[in-house]
Amino acid sequence: MPNNLLSLEMAVAMETEGENHHIVKALNLLRSRICDTGFIFKDSSDGNYSKLKFMISSSVAEACNNSILLLGPRGSGKLAVLDLVIQDLLLQYPDSISVVRLSGLLHSDDISAFKEIARQLCMEHQLLFSKAASFDDNSQFMVAVLKECGLAHKSVIFILDEFDLFAQGKQRLLYSLLDAMQSVSSQAVVIGISCRLDADQLLEKRVRSRFSHRKLLFLPPSIEDSQRLLALMLTLPLESGLPYDYAVEFNKRVQNIIEDKKFKEIFNKYLNFDSSVKHLLRFLFYAVSHMDLQTGFLSRENFETASSSIQRQPKLECLKNCSILELYILVCMKRLEVKEKSLCNFNAVMKEYKSVHDSFQTSDYYARNVCLRAFEHLIHRELICFSDNRGHSLSVEFRPVKLLISSGELYQGLKAYQSCPAILQKLIDS
Amino acid sequence: MDKEEAPQIPRRTTRSLSSTSTSNTKTASKENNSLESLTINDLLVGGDPINLDDIISSFPGRSTQIHEIVRLLGPLNSPILPMFVYGGASTGKTSIILQLFKHLQRPLVYSSCRTCYNQRILFESVLNQLLLHRKNAANCYTNAKRCERPSDFINFLREALTSVIDNLKVKSEKSISEKNIHGGMGNMIYLVFDNFHLVRDWDKSSTILPLLFNLHDMLKMPEVSLIFISSTSPDTFYSTNMGYVEPIPIYFPDYTEGDMRQILLRNQANQKLYSSFLDVALRPFCRITRQVGELSSALKPLFEKYCEPLSDKGKGVVPNEDMKRRLFNHIKPHIASSLNDVFKVSSPPSSEAESGKETKLKGNLKRSEEIGDLDFHMSTSAKYLLISAFLASRNPATLDASLFDSKGGSDNRKRKRKASEKALEKKEMLEEELLMKGPGTFPMERLIAIFQCIVSVGEDPSDEEEKNNEELGAQCGSGSLMSDVLLQLSTLCNANFIFRGKSCPIEGSTRYRSTISEDLALKVARSLKFPLSKYLYRS
Repeated sequence: MPNNLLSLEMAVAMETEGENHHIVKALNLLRSRICDTGFIFKDSSDGNYSKLKFMISSSVAEACNNSILLLGPRGSGKLAVLDLVIQDLLLQYPDSISVVRLSGLLHSDDISAFKEIARQLCMEHQLLFSKAASFDDNSQFMVAVLKECGLAHKSVIFILDEFDLFAQGKQRLLYSLLDAMQSVSSQAVVIGISCRLDADQLLEKRVRSRFSHRKLLFLPPSIEDSQRLLALMLTLPLESGLPYDYAVEFNKRVQNIIEDKKFKEIFNKYLNFDSSVKHLLRFLFYAVSHMDLQTGFLSRENFETASSSIQRQPKLECLKNCSILELYILVCMKRLEVKEKSLCNFNAVMKEYKSVHDSFQTSDYYARNVCLRAFEHLIHRELICFSDNRGHSLSVEFRPVKLLISSGELYQGLKAYQSCPAILQKLIDS
Repeated sequence: MDKEEAPQIPRRTTRSLSSTSTSNTKTASKENNSLESLTINDLLVGGDPINLDDIISSFPGRSTQIHEIVRLLGPLNSPILPMFVYGGASTGKTSIILQLFKHLQRPLVYSSCRTCYNQRILFESVLNQLLLHRKNAANCYTNAKRCERPSDFINFLREALTSVIDNLKVKSEKSISEKNIHGGMGNMIYLVFDNFHLVRDWDKSSTILPLLFNLHDMLKMPEVSLIFISSTSPDTFYSTNMGYVEPIPIYFPDYTEGDMRQILLRNQANQKLYSSFLDVALRPFCRITRQVGELSSALKPLFEKYCEPLSDKGKGVVPNEDMKRRLFNHIKPHIASSLNDVFKVSSPPSSEAESGKETKLKGNLKRSEEIGDLDFHMSTSAKYLLISAFLASRNPATLDASLFDSKGGSDNRKRKRKASEKALEKKEMLEEELLMKGPGTFPMERLIAIFQCIVSVGEDPSDEEEKNNEELGAQCGSGSLMSDVLLQLSTLCNANFIFRGKSCPIEGSTRYRSTISEDLALKVARSLKFPLSKYLYRS
């Protein structure tokens, strides 16, 4: 490892003149591919891409209104595909499209949503945007601009990311948008993007009736597709300034890895957990950034480390960090939980701790304030937490707490802990 | 913690930085040119360049993490997915990130969610740094932008980032044309959010958390990368109702015993002696806590004790086997006792202000035990008030009459003495309840009544039983005491000795609760020569 790192250092230092210049270049190429959300969807003959393109382009060409929902789990490329479509359409109809982008995370309240719409429309049409404009001004402005755009045969595409968040509250934005689209003259496309498959059920009746119920479902790729995508992402282009021999050799090795049985095992296991494209990209990013810079080729080990370091078990890691005393407290709490005590706080834990000590004569018996500190450490580690937020008036000793770790995990953690006292394992077994 | 003061004059110092590299002259020179306008170079971590081996050797047990981060950051100008660095307290997360950026000489925007304690301040701090804005007298210490809403923040941020990145691109092109071998700063800008776990407790955490986690996707700028530093694992962030694509996790485990040894050995004058001391002392202490800061403060007094038999306090002595044995026998009895007051002195503040105060107070008391006196001044009536609040919290209200009224009291006590098993059981249950529920609440009327009773007792301890009734009457008659007492009560409430709750919705009156421990109450009572234990209801 240190050797590789040194080579990376050297590579950075000698980037402008060095011999493994092409390796760094290849690494950068792969990394920018992975970080660019669009790339992975670019070449895919994805059904959604053509469907979406057809829908939007027909409503632009025929100058009609439309509303579409793009639904699918997080990280399945809804926005990325939409961006590609919009890019294409902007090339196709450069003068008759203007795009307004909103995000539910930022503009879920009506005031800022209308403000943002007005701002973006102003930017688009080289108008002066007034920060002081009121909510009413902005909403009237929007309707007016929509009308004007309709007269000029220009389509406005509204992209509402995190669509479900716009459906909170009174849905005034959605209503006025969709209502404005009802008039003959306007020409707009509203595209909602949401992870909630029931996003259209969240709409009020008056909004829903104005919404044309077109939905596009984005599903995570199948394992075969993922493998195809993997190959696509990791294949170096043969004519891009990289040495031809190197690129060919690199691609050959990637192909070998993909066909490797053990790799397939890791890959399938990883994707069983979450098969969305974004999850796949994380895996690739980690593996690629661990590429050996001396040889400049990927190896199966890169993927192995990637899958093990992305899929972590935070609770077990946390248990490994605990001191023996903290483990004692956890075990005592677990025993209390098994006894089905209705309420558990530090005093109850101390009582249990004392009784454990009395019956087994453990060597780890510490004073109350030491235990209290260990207890607080556990709270900071979030292995336990206060079970209510009300009791701020009480000091820590009295506030009820609960365990945030299952008995299975605790058992596993104690087994994995190197110098765990035998008594603790015995206590948790019984 | 030093790192909380990071945005002050010497930009970005961490504990290790401030202790090792930043010398006085450097800060002075920094202060001198603090009035000059900032340039893009100020986004780099200041100080002498440092090479990677030095970083690795200055952080024992952290080489895997350092290598991992370097690999993920990658060569110059390579884009990166968001990273999530996590691990327990004092495991070197912030220091290593900052040192690595110092080594790599790449621009970063560092904001700690502890100093920037709400979303507006966080937004403004990020924007200030990006816009190279420094608060000073000339601009009346205002921020570069006023920005409260997330939507404004994203617009401003995009603007600021674009200009910074353009700036960087011009710069790196220049450095390439000048054939600068090192390649300059590159085009990437890194936004670091430290203490990220605190964001969960913010007012609008349900919107700000997904916003920050989704920032990378929202900005769609490959030149921008995000690094989150948190002391809790990513799974503790799930509770928000919004989802997000998880960043790449990098885990800093707590130090192992071996690492801890290396860390503690650093900066020690007599390495050999300290090493032999650690042989003896480290293991038992590691069983209690594995945080370096706590260990070092706990071991310090013990080491002094360890050196006691040596002539020159252990300077320049090379211990041989015999001496080690002798010192071991000397220190052995002290270890067990010092284990139990590991955290007594100079406890680092815990998350809750209240508990922190209490532990500190307790600590103070333990130390002053030899003197047998309180080490803080308090007026007599405040002390009485404190005791009466303690009594009101501990004793059940139904027993007030029997405890403070002479006739009822004696009767009741006699009856109790002949307690049957049932009564004993009841008592146990009460005790249990006290342990579980903590001190009870009480209305002010009860507090004042008890106060008046015990004041009369305290003033005339010789024949309390007889005179109690009369004095009580006399006290109640004189209303002059009352306003003072109320004033004292509010003082005690502000000092967190007594907790004032919200008014009870049914009764309407405010309820109080005493927060002091029994030790402290006894101590206060002793200073007044008040027989507190007599009035405490328990076995």
